[in-house]
Amino acid sequence: MPLLTIATFLPILAGLALMALPDRSTKKAHTVSIAATGAVFLITLGIWARGIVAGDFAQVEEIAWIPAIGAAYRLGVDGLSLPLVLLTSLLFLLSALYSARIGERAASYVVLMLMLETASLGTFMALDGLLFYVFFEVSLVGMYFMIAGWGYEERQRAALMFFLYTLVGSLPLLLAIIGLYLGSGTFDMRVWVEGTTLGGLPAMLALIAMLVTFAVKIPAFPVHTWLPAAHVQAPTAGSVILAGVMLKFGTYGLVRFAYQMTPEAFAQAGQVILAFGVVSALYGAFAALAQSDLKKMIAYTSVNHMGYVVMGVAIAALATEPRIRTIALDGATLQMVSHGLVTGALFFLVGMLQDRAHTRGIGDFGGLLGRVPWLGWAFILSAFASLGLPGLAHFPAEFQIFLATLNGMPWGLIAILAIVVTAALYLRAIAGVFLGEMNDKWADMPDLDRREKLVVLPLLVLTVLIGVAPGWLIDMIHTTMTGLGN
Amino acid sequence: MEMGRDLALLAPELTLAAAAMLMIVAEMFRAARLVLAIGLAGLAAATLLTLPMLSVDATVFGGTYRIDLISGWAKLILLPGTALSLLLVRAEITGRPREGSVQSLVVLVTLGALMLSGAGDMMVVVIGVVLTGLGSFALVAWPRDDAATEAAMKYLVFGAVTGSVMIYGLTFWFGGTGSTLFSELGQLQGQTLVTIAGLIAIIVGLGYKGSLVPFHFWAPDAYQGAPVSIAAYLSVITKAAAFFAFAQVLRDLPRDGGWPLALAVIAAATMTYGYLAALVQTNLVRLIAYSSVAQSGYFLMGVVALGASGFAVPGILVFAAAYVAMNLGAFAVVLLAGRDLGDLEGFGRTRPWLGAAMVVFLLSLTGIPPLFGFVGKFYLLSAAVEAGYLWLAIIGVLNSVLALGVYLRLMVPMYRTSSTEHPSEVGAVLTQGTVVVTVLATLLIGLAAGILPGP
Repeated sequence: MPLLTIATFLPILAGLALMALPDRSTKKAHTVSIAATGAVFLITLGIWARGIVAGDFAQVEEIAWIPAIGAAYRLGVDGLSLPLVLLTSLLFLLSALYSARIGERAASYVVLMLMLETASLGTFMALDGLLFYVFFEVSLVGMYFMIAGWGYEERQRAALMFFLYTLVGSLPLLLAIIGLYLGSGTFDMRVWVEGTTLGGLPAMLALIAMLVTFAVKIPAFPVHTWLPAAHVQAPTAGSVILAGVMLKFGTYGLVRFAYQMTPEAFAQAGQVILAFGVVSALYGAFAALAQSDLKKMIAYTSVNHMGYVVMGVAIAALATEPRIRTIALDGATLQMVSHGLVTGALFFLVGMLQDRAHTRGIGDFGGLLGRVPWLGWAFILSAFASLGLPGLAHFPAEFQIFLATLNGMPWGLIAILAIVVTAALYLRAIAGVFLGEMNDKWADMPDLDRREKLVVLPLLVLTVLIGVAPGWLIDMIHTTMTGLGN
Repeated sequence: MEMGRDLALLAPELTLAAAAMLMIVAEMFRAARLVLAIGLAGLAAATLLTLPMLSVDATVFGGTYRIDLISGWAKLILLPGTALSLLLVRAEITGRPREGSVQSLVVLVTLGALMLSGAGDMMVVVIGVVLTGLGSFALVAWPRDDAATEAAMKYLVFGAVTGSVMIYGLTFWFGGTGSTLFSELGQLQGQTLVTIAGLIAIIVGLGYKGSLVPFHFWAPDAYQGAPVSIAAYLSVITKAAAFFAFAQVLRDLPRDGGWPLALAVIAAATMTYGYLAALVQTNLVRLIAYSSVAQSGYFLMGVVALGASGFAVPGILVFAAAYVAMNLGAFAVVLLAGRDLGDLEGFGRTRPWLGAAMVVFLLSLTGIPPLFGFVGKFYLLSAAVEAGYLWLAIIGVLNSVLALGVYLRLMVPMYRTSSTEHPSEVGAVLTQGTVVVTVLATLLIGLAAGILPGP
């Protein structure tokens, strides 16, 4: 059975079916949404059960599309994409559960969410350059309408900024794809990832084009400015998907396209890329420290965490020893998954807090832990994970990245300073919101209800599980990365 | 014998010509419905007759008219596009005086567009330009008010001047090769001055039809003065035909004459100017007029790459098909919504389906995948890169950003809450039908791009 295709297109088909229904009530819309995303989650578990292979793409599904130009519908997974696919299907399921309270134009909201899921899964699984670009761009359109339609006060401006920024960002990739195509005569990414399609100046030009695109998407300093604006205005589920899934397009592309398709150029530019990673990590941490809005703060920590990923990939290109390269790539990929889980949880929790209080300012709260222990402890656990506490999801990832940095480019270790800053900012946020004097305004704030617990718990469990016993996930990633590291 | 073969190959054109004559006869009896029926039947028959001839590569009448990939696909694009335009015309001016005349003129202009698309000879190009031109002037002047008369006058004067320049310049090519056939243009190798003179003529004559900068001045006025349906028609059919003619003429011209560079500069100027001008318009028809000027620049990218990239001809054809669908669709929505930007306020909320269709058209015009417009632009960009015009491709890509700015100016107000009423009008069924057809084409043909001509 073509599980990859089914997983990719089931959401959009469910969305179309919903549009065709004569009765598109709020309840029915959310039922369709939860059922479809749930089914997709189960299917992706099935894809996981089928497994991947070392050194190649597994479960490849291929149909001719535009034979004249060598473009085909090609899907497949490997140790880089499969963890992200699982992350995507989980986060969309949880977002569907969380969004079940949205009453305003629910049917349109659900259709957009489902379209986004199709685009996201397709982006990770596409093995055809043109198909990848199609999914990549469709996700932009979906997210634009999501922010513009269901965001907060300044949503129109934020949505516009997001759309313009990321569209400008993604167009250079189109040129790189054309270059890779003209160099190889096919859009088959399996040919491109062999890394021999382009060489010399064309390879460097293609790399620069790809780096522009993915730096905007990741986002890396200095092209990150759209992210806080988009996050603050986006609806909660939109933020979760944006941070948890769509930022990974950038890091995934960094590995799949930039690192794999133009390896020599990437190694030449490695120091520069590493520097961007280090600066992003530091800048994100310091910028987050300066925020008083919880959501904006978490948005900036994404810049920090993604900076570590960029560092990991750059180290993999710079290091000469295969063992170090593999460790760096393992760490970078694991970091993508950990960030999706932890930041997803944090955005959900801030969203739940905002649903109750209609504000997100750290200074507006105080002493909430006694009032809403579930919400408080969940936030504290996620915050500790986010600052890299051992035993939680970010630790094994960041540890591997720093280990590789130490062995490859020791100067990059100044980024460790960012961990201290993140620790400080999270402790400040926890102290400000959950500890200290209770603000009487919130005396009757309800704790998490059953649905909200159901949304947050899986993420917390996985955060702990990956922190304590990451083996099951790292093994999957490692299967592919040993090949890439050599 | 030879004549019989030629006439058989010309079956679609002859069918359409016959239909146009019959339409005029029916119009004499003021039978507007009959005129429309004959027109639609003629277009359908001509389209069907084209299908079996798609793989033919031949010339008729001594090489003056070509039956090839370009002219074949041109018919498949222009004839259905004309049929949809007839429906829009019917929807807009139903029951008004001389409705049938408008319908017959539209079909006649399309006949001229087919001549341009298949031209293998300078004289056929001239006939095509004149035939499309004369019909278009009359169509623009149809409303008989001041705006329309002024627009038609401008259009006519512009057309007369550029037409004369073209004919004058073409005589240089005739002098250089001793023949009016384009297939003989290879002989111009080395005769730089003569090549340039003729080239300027072609650029002026066809550039005016295709509304390239700086020959575009008539377009916004003409579109604004004419009925919306006529603006829709002129913006797609005569324009696409101009680029098919470009492809027919320049594919035989040696590339060392420097014309690719000259056209590349015009292409860059056209797209940039078109979108910049569109950014400041408040009249919807003018806005789309300037956006279609910009789209001409993309068409020209394919022309620049003629002879240097396998993507050039497929790019022009695929983009033309996409452009006809999405631009006609956008104009059809304008017909329902109103001519002013303010009329779109809240349109997407009160008319969700039409609003969604408009979003599809605008995203496709921007070049967002997987819509049809993206496939066309992708082919054209690939053609430019392969022909060594990376800088032009980069300008094309950057202009997509301007394009987004232009089209978001339409999309954003559509989803604002507003109290503007959007009542259904008379004739709305036909217009909505056109929207449905064009939106399906925009959504689905891009996904099935394998059926289209490729390199």
